[in-house]
Amino acid sequence: MEKTQNNKAWFLVLPVLVLVAFSAILPLMTVVNYAFNDTFGNNQFFWAGIEWFDDMIHSERLRAALGRQVIFSLIILAIEVPLGIFIALNMPKKGFWASFCLVLMALPLLIPFNVVGTIWQIFGRVDIGLLGHTLAAMGVDYNYTNDPLDAWITVIVMDVWHWTSLVALLAYAGLQSIPQAYYQAARIDQATRWSVFRYIELPKMKGVLLIAVLLRFMDSFMIYTEPFVVTGGGPGNSTTFLSIDLAKMATGQFDLGPAAAFSIMYFLVILLISWVFYTVMTNLDRAESGEENR
Amino acid sequence: MTTTRWTTVYLVIAAIMLTILAALYAAVPVKDGVKDWTAQLIPGFWMAWTFPVALFFWCIASLLILMTLLAIRFPETPRVGLLRIETTRGDRLFITLLGSAFIHLGWLYFAGPDALWGAMILSLAYAFAVFRWV
Repeated sequence: MEKTQNNKAWFLVLPVLVLVAFSAILPLMTVVNYAFNDTFGNNQFFWAGIEWFDDMIHSERLRAALGRQVIFSLIILAIEVPLGIFIALNMPKKGFWASFCLVLMALPLLIPFNVVGTIWQIFGRVDIGLLGHTLAAMGVDYNYTNDPLDAWITVIVMDVWHWTSLVALLAYAGLQSIPQAYYQAARIDQATRWSVFRYIELPKMKGVLLIAVLLRFMDSFMIYTEPFVVTGGGPGNSTTFLSIDLAKMATGQFDLGPAAAFSIMYFLVILLISWVFYTVMTNLDRAESGEENR
Repeated sequence: MTTTRWTTVYLVIAAIMLTILAALYAAVPVKDGVKDWTAQLIPGFWMAWTFPVALFFWCIASLLILMTLLAIRFPETPRVGLLRIETTRGDRLFITLLGSAFIHLGWLYFAGPDALWGAMILSLAYAFAVFRWV
């Protein structure tokens, strides 16, 4: 039966549109407006044209923060994705221990970001922290407030501690959906553990892994709270990622114009990456369903 | 809907958008006999909106309205183009707008702020290419 098209139904989304306009579209327009003006507060504005964009795009400070941000995101992806898959492969498949592991894995995800930051901030302190104090007692020269490398290691380990479970849980869900028949066929063919992983498990996990990579990339690309609580962007500027730098510029120095130009460029980059991921994902789905129909 | 009714719809919406544009134009303050394009449209109003920013959003809104009308009258059919991905007209508009933003930023980075018209022309060429081949 032919479905009747009734475009009048679109009017029913008008209330949502009004809400979104008030909570998202207008604030976004305000940011655009800030980017083209200079202001000292008090609703006094002076036209600045594209000066801020020109300043920001040539700014060493922004480029350095972007560099650190990209390196950070790549490192945590390189650790969390393989580690998450490894954990998912080795988790019990059913019974009490399966539920136990699931709950245990979910715990770090439930902790608020600033609490995670505080936990690691204290955990790593040399004077009272368990980790910092133990390392110091063992003769390891570890101090995340002085040494950039130590600060980086702390922030990365913290992120791995916080978010690897997400990748593991997604990968685990992907693994659970593989029918037993595939494994039986592999056993009959005397497939090695590696070929089972390479030709059965990995292709079946592709979809959820893409989601995991997307989520982890976007989250780490916008990370603010945890490194801010632990290192405050220091020592020096060594762990100042994009959003920390942005917040410093906007609320610390009250440079609203440059900060707005900065955030528009930041937004564009995130929009681009999200679009690429989304397109890849939908096309992958389509390719998969196309294969099954054949 | 019949063609005549569509013509009415187009004309009414065009009239509304043009009225808004005219109101924006009329609101530009005059200083020493010339239009001061970058002055506040409504002095003392929240956020100090100016004509260039308003024009930018007017263009975006017009594009969205135009594409919505086209999508209702001639439903979108996805096609696979140069990028080997399925795109509808709306997707191509998104790719165009996002790409244009990056073209302008790239121009600003490499050529400086003086001749941004170049980036505009490049964006229009890019828009044509996207709608034709992607």
